[in-house]
Amino acid sequence: MTETAAIRTEGLTKHFGEKVAVHALDLDIAPGTFYCCLGPNGAGKTTTIKMLTGLLHPSGGSALLGGHDIQKDPLAAKRLLGYVPDHPFLYDKLTGNEFMQFVAGLYRMTPAEYAERCGPLLEMFEIAAVADQLIEDYSHGMRQKLSFASCFLHDPKIVVVDEPWVGLDPKNIRFVKDFLRRRCRETGLTVFMSTHTLSIAEEIADVVGIIHRGRLLRAGTVNEIKALRHTAGGSLEDVFLEITRDDEEPGDANGGAARA
Amino acid sequence: MNQVLTVIQARLRMARHEIVGVRNESRLKVGVISVSALLLLSGMFVFFFSGFRWIVAFGGRGGPEYNFGELLMTRLLGVLFLSLFMLLVFSNVLVSFATLYRSHEVKRLMLSPLRFDHIFHARFFECVAFSSWSIAFLGAPMFLAYGLSMGAHPVFYLALAAFFLPAIIIPACLGCIITMVLVRIFPRVRPAWMALLGAVAVGGFFLYIRHILRGQQISDDTILPVFLQTTARMQSFLLPSHWASQGILAASRFKVGEALYWWTTLASTALFLLLVSGWLARLLYYPGWSWLAGQDRQRFRPLNRGALNRLAGVMRLVPEPARCLSVKDVKLFWRDPTQWSQFVIFFGIMAIYIANLRNTSKFYEQEMWRSWIACLNVGAVTLILATLTSRFVFPLVSLEGRRMWIIGLAPLTFAQVVRQKFWMSVATSAAFTIGLAFLSAHMLRLEPVYFLMTVYTVTLANFGLAGLAVGLGALYPVFKEENPARIVSGLGGTLNLLLSVGYIAWMVAALTLIMQWRALGLFTGGAAFRWALGGVMTLDLALTLACCVLPMKMGLKNLQNMEL
Repeated sequence: MTETAAIRTEGLTKHFGEKVAVHALDLDIAPGTFYCCLGPNGAGKTTTIKMLTGLLHPSGGSALLGGHDIQKDPLAAKRLLGYVPDHPFLYDKLTGNEFMQFVAGLYRMTPAEYAERCGPLLEMFEIAAVADQLIEDYSHGMRQKLSFASCFLHDPKIVVVDEPWVGLDPKNIRFVKDFLRRRCRETGLTVFMSTHTLSIAEEIADVVGIIHRGRLLRAGTVNEIKALRHTAGGSLEDVFLEITRDDEEPGDANGGAARA
Repeated sequence: MNQVLTVIQARLRMARHEIVGVRNESRLKVGVISVSALLLLSGMFVFFFSGFRWIVAFGGRGGPEYNFGELLMTRLLGVLFLSLFMLLVFSNVLVSFATLYRSHEVKRLMLSPLRFDHIFHARFFECVAFSSWSIAFLGAPMFLAYGLSMGAHPVFYLALAAFFLPAIIIPACLGCIITMVLVRIFPRVRPAWMALLGAVAVGGFFLYIRHILRGQQISDDTILPVFLQTTARMQSFLLPSHWASQGILAASRFKVGEALYWWTTLASTALFLLLVSGWLARLLYYPGWSWLAGQDRQRFRPLNRGALNRLAGVMRLVPEPARCLSVKDVKLFWRDPTQWSQFVIFFGIMAIYIANLRNTSKFYEQEMWRSWIACLNVGAVTLILATLTSRFVFPLVSLEGRRMWIIGLAPLTFAQVVRQKFWMSVATSAAFTIGLAFLSAHMLRLEPVYFLMTVYTVTLANFGLAGLAVGLGALYPVFKEENPARIVSGLGGTLNLLLSVGYIAWMVAALTLIMQWRALGLFTGGAAFRWALGGVMTLDLALTLACCVLPMKMGLKNLQNMEL
């Protein structure tokens, strides 16, 4: 176990009534790691992400970000954290610029820090031209790009991303992949990403974790995961389908379908 | 299968799931709301029952001869029905815009093979339900009190149920028609003309109300003729509210034929308007919806322009994150037309109130009347304040909605968020209501003690009502709802309104008691009055502190335990 883990969970568990959405999850992710969390619908990926970010209270166990418990020391943990949700619900009646200013205020950034970071981020994510426009008028992709830009405004050390590709065009998908990968390598950013797009995970992940029915079934590098297949030469998709194949009768497991 | 019914049935199923979902809510929450609702209904019943009994005692109950009590009751019901009718038309204009044009469900319906008038009718009944349920809830104790105090025949209660549906359908049809026409007209009108027309319409409406209310200068011997003359203007044969009030009154006197006549008039008009609105929907609904959906949406708000963008500079002494949260709240409020349009009405009510203060001058000669006027003025100003906090402050937490993750992830505590909403509410409402308190006290030429008590009570009420609205808003948030009008009409909003009115009632009643005793010379000396006044002021302060601390503490706890 790494002493200075960027993300560490110990026995992280979440019940929704009788159903167990996440069962005793243990993660230990080193700084600078690009971690891709894979799993079928209802596997517990989003529930895990919500517990990591403090949006859900765990039923058991703990989640630590940069050594800070998200439940016991939330302010210190949240200062390190950036989050991009799958559906970017933003304040429709603010402009892109105003939203960035708002986020800067929440993170108590100085005007100089804001001025230094905001413009380049808006340029980088190609929304500078519409930054004075109301978010209400943005397309889904533009909202997602603004969501990314605002996530990096306070220079987080850990970024949690929940299925970010919806609404992004191929050019932007390429940009986001390269951007996240580069930040991991150059600045030691840790990324925890949930995705269904296995080809992207295969391309960019340092570590892949496969969750099914609330349990972490396998974790390792892409090659290690691929090597798990009984016959050689398979893709990550083949291995994923094999690992998450439902051999059990419906209802005999711990209710993995509780939440996506 | 009927398509309209299919859509309505789906909505009813959703409503049923919501109601059944109450079982999963905290028992304490459901218990508090149920008990409060019962208390409100009982309180209203007692209030109206006493009022109606007084009118009967004053003017006599109906008999073979038409007596003054009957006349008074008829006129009062006429005024009430007309007010409700106007209120329903207006609220249907607002609700129908959200329900017919802005709802996400409409997109799905537009994609399905439904005729546009069928889509309209399917959504129309949602408008009716949303805009009218509170009338049924709050009207029930009043009509029960009326029936019992007048010894009404059982037919009266059946008639109430029969008259209710057509009486709410007519204003709903009118409201929807106005909305559909406005949506078609507005694109063709230049913004400057639109603003001018809006201002003229609002100004004209308030001038008309003021004209009706002022009528003539009243004196002791003309008060009843003036009242009858003024209320006669509201008894037009062409108004559906008049038909409803006449029909219900006839039913209460067991004049079945007359009641049936008015009901038939009302019901046939409702059916006719349903047909007309459906016919208009075929012509106007889709083009309007389509225009709204496809308008050129590139609304720019450059950072260095406009008063709103100077807010952050004006508030530079306020520390972050309270400043950015407040700037955000003000911008969201100002850019939502449904919010500020109701704010304009709020100002209109204030203006009418101020304009009518001069009519009270004839009562200044007697100490007792001066005392009554001063206390009623406090009641009026604090009620305006309660309207403000219930409508605009209570929904503040709920309006974070599905964006709550942004605040939930930021390095700030929910205590900071609750405090920010509280202080913003106090600062904003105080700017209007403390000014109103000074102005009204000055216009009424109140003596120093009344002046002091007016300003003191209104100042306290700013804190108490803000504490209630923010605290209960955090305790009973409705994150799924984007429309503030609907957030307010929920259980939490109703509870907030009830407690706000209860809080005001206590403060005004205590003040009135002390001042009336003084006016009637019941205090043995000046010291006794001062002690009593000090006691009331202390109790008011304690109650205000309780209204600030308790709800906000409970609301904060709820937010901290909430899973987003």
